[in-house]
Amino acid sequence: MAREECKALLDGLNKTTACYHHLVLTVGGSADSQNLRQELQKTRQKAQELAVATCSRLTAVLRDRGLAADERAEFERLWVAFSGCLDLLEADMRRALDLGAAFPLHAPRRPLVCTGVAGASSGVAARALSTRSLRLEAEGDFDVADLRELEREVLQVGEMIDNMEMKVNVPRWTVQARQAPGAELLSTVGAGPSSVVSVEERQGGFDPRKALAAILFAAVLLAAVALAVCVAKLS
Amino acid sequence: MAADPARPPGSPRAQMPHLRKMERVVVSMQDPDQGVKMRSQRLLVTVIPHAVTGRDVVQWLAQKFCVSEEEALHLGAVLVLHGYIYPLRDPRSLVLRPDETPYRFQECYDRLHKKISHVWDLVLMQAREQLRAAKQRRKGDRLVIAFQEQTYWLVNRPPPGAPSVLEQGPERGSRTASHVHMTKSADFYTREIEYCRRALGRTRVKSSVCLEAYLSFCDQHGPHDPLVSGCLPSNPWISDDDAYWVMNAPTVAAPTKLRVERWGFSFKELLEDPMGRAHFMDFLGKEFSGENLSFWEACEELRYGAQAQVPTLVDAVYQQFLAPGAARWVNIDSRTMERTLEGLRQPHRYVLDAAQLHIYMLMKKDSYPRFLKSDIYRGLLAEAGILLETKRRVFPFTRRPRRSSPSPALLPTPVEPTAASGPAGGDGVA
Repeated sequence: MAREECKALLDGLNKTTACYHHLVLTVGGSADSQNLRQELQKTRQKAQELAVATCSRLTAVLRDRGLAADERAEFERLWVAFSGCLDLLEADMRRALDLGAAFPLHAPRRPLVCTGVAGASSGVAARALSTRSLRLEAEGDFDVADLRELEREVLQVGEMIDNMEMKVNVPRWTVQARQAPGAELLSTVGAGPSSVVSVEERQGGFDPRKALAAILFAAVLLAAVALAVCVAKLS
Repeated sequence: MAADPARPPGSPRAQMPHLRKMERVVVSMQDPDQGVKMRSQRLLVTVIPHAVTGRDVVQWLAQKFCVSEEEALHLGAVLVLHGYIYPLRDPRSLVLRPDETPYRFQECYDRLHKKISHVWDLVLMQAREQLRAAKQRRKGDRLVIAFQEQTYWLVNRPPPGAPSVLEQGPERGSRTASHVHMTKSADFYTREIEYCRRALGRTRVKSSVCLEAYLSFCDQHGPHDPLVSGCLPSNPWISDDDAYWVMNAPTVAAPTKLRVERWGFSFKELLEDPMGRAHFMDFLGKEFSGENLSFWEACEELRYGAQAQVPTLVDAVYQQFLAPGAARWVNIDSRTMERTLEGLRQPHRYVLDAAQLHIYMLMKKDSYPRFLKSDIYRGLLAEAGILLETKRRVFPFTRRPRRSSPSPALLPTPVEPTAASGPAGGDGVA
């Protein structure tokens, strides 16, 4: 069914955009490397492929005059979400271009900011590309050629957005939100509250897990002491 | 609280008054002197600024509205439900706990939901995916990145007076707002060079020359300006007599002398005045070169006319003025004529500009000086009456014979004899 297909494509684009956003945040920081740039490139290429596919499907459907009203409403909702995703992708790509140009990796003294991010980002990229794990090895001057490509791709995405606007006219004010304002806070499915808050939660107050761990440790220590005393007595 | 599109239309209006009341309460709660005491909560390592405890909220409400604690608790719970306060530790539970749990104020969640309702779903989808993506990283990295983002948005939020993006429409397709640092290619540099070259070649006038011209303009136009030299017969705003306006109407049979004099200042003045243009047309008729002015007028009509009429008008002008053997053929030099004919293949409103300019300069250099020396003009000048003041008296010693009302541009003069102030007073001057 066209709707399911479009929804699946849109979900894929959403996931890839989110991963790309996450990767862009670390450009220029202490975790920046040629590998990161390559992961960025692969992620944005995947995002672009998905975007082009979604764009053509949705445009074809919405330009079809003989569509029922409720189906049209459904597709318009998908369209609005899709154009929002594209806007986010474009903004992230521009940010990547700015940061990438400001922090060149091939200069002899790498002027990276010590942000304290140390881990690898291959997990995020693997999630974006929907593979289990990702192992990339980029050459030493990958980022120079990549920047030029990125510039071109930013312009391409901009053009795609403009074309989209020309081809299909979807008034955004007709789309209503499906979810109630507080619903996402009450849902137990999906990601929990922000990790920051949960970290604070764990740090503050009385934590049963910590208490349990402490008791176990104490018990083990006691047992070890008792054994040592027995051994000492025996010997 | 759900934004349910099927809600009956009566209820949003019913909700508004109580939302406004809640807002007032919340605003007074945030008052630095009399509001709820804001503290910085200290958890083990981090400090949370701008937090209020549930207990403080309840106590403040009970005190301010002189209600029982139970009622204050209920009121506080309503505030939380509507999103004016949100709990920091446990964002899922929308319950007001009257203890040490910290809360913070925020813009009404409902309103936000309404304002960005078309992207609400996308926002939630993206947020969920971003959280899932973040889970792929180490916890330490996650924290650092989250704080980094928060600080970025805190620093880059718009200053207090900036227009809120929720109030403006989204600017779709305006790619001009981007400041991306694109690589400077050869193309970019050639364009820059071209621009600089053109800027250098602009005509510049020395300020000494320019100021002299300005002074001579002021001298010439000074006596004609009603603010500087007063207006005859009397200032209508003061004396309630609109003779001034009647006599200086655009089309009037007998133009005033000042007006006729002004036609002599420059060709532009002559053409801009309808009476001047009419007399000039008569003069040209006598000289058998009236088609020049007609052509110029037709071109003006083309430039400023309706877009839909442009093709027909261009055709008409061509047939009447430019075609070889036309009824009123205008004399344009060959180069301009060639260019015009080429442009006529794709007519737009500025296609006759070159020809119009040529004819304009022709009239200005040739016919206009002759007009000024002609009998028509001299006759008009002689006939045109000098406007007399109302209730004119002959006083050879009055310092300002022509002015009947005080001009705001002049300095205040010493008091004149009462006889002189008679005519001025007669006009009702205060």
